[in-house]
Amino acid sequence: MESHQINYKNIAYPPGGILMWIIIFLELFTFGAALIAMVLYSKDEPEIFHQSKLLLNTTFGAINTIFLLTSGFYMAKSVENFKHNKTVKATLFLKLTMVGGVLFLLLKSVEYYFKIQAGLTIGYNTFFSFYWMLTLFHVIHVVVGLVVLMFIYVDLKRKSDINLEDFEASAAFWHMCDLIWLLLFPIIYLMF
Amino acid sequence: MKINLFLKVWLVLIILTICTALVSNSTLVTSIAATIIVVLSVIKFLLVANYFMEMKKSHSFWKLSILFYLSIVMGTLLFALKW
Repeated sequence: MESHQINYKNIAYPPGGILMWIIIFLELFTFGAALIAMVLYSKDEPEIFHQSKLLLNTTFGAINTIFLLTSGFYMAKSVENFKHNKTVKATLFLKLTMVGGVLFLLLKSVEYYFKIQAGLTIGYNTFFSFYWMLTLFHVIHVVVGLVVLMFIYVDLKRKSDINLEDFEASAAFWHMCDLIWLLLFPIIYLMF
Repeated sequence: MKINLFLKVWLVLIILTICTALVSNSTLVTSIAATIIVVLSVIKFLLVANYFMEMKKSHSFWKLSILFYLSIVMGTLLFALKW
């Protein structure tokens, strides 16, 4: 069986495509700037930030990190199998990737429910304004990523022609959600 | 073998995540703990980008761009934390 090949050493073809990587860098810089702003604001209210951080559930955050990293692992395996034309395995791993994403969203929903029940909403204080804005913005990315993966999954099931660039671009978007979470989790849940 | 490599990377990522949680709950001086947490995050970020996203195979421009991003953002974060 012939396997898919792209010359990644060409500057115009990073894995996932040049346009996807422009988007990834824009997103990463946006979240990075917001996290820097959060740290700078914490200098004005260190005690409030510290007390607020203690109200977050670190265990939920750590489990969610494991969900996303595991999901990312399955995504990488799915791409790998797709490149070798092992469509059945690629589909299975893609399904597991989506399960990881759904578990992340479920646990995040539970966390949000407890926060709202405790009255820790977006207007509670500066820390929670940042917490809600950053984590909700990230959740939107995860939802969009799941929708994109769902389209790829349906195409794989229908045995439609999917080119490697599209598959890799979808995977890159999904991994971007991992990357953003790897910045958010330590700063918001552990740092202050 | 690629399959084993992904599994190894995943295991390292999980171990580093546990280490991050342990450091945050430790009695280390806050600034030292913060530095360790940021360094562990950078390592995890690089592992995901280089192996799961396969940027290790890409043109050096993209690899340097990732390092540039991390040094700017994480460097500024560390500076802001200690400032």
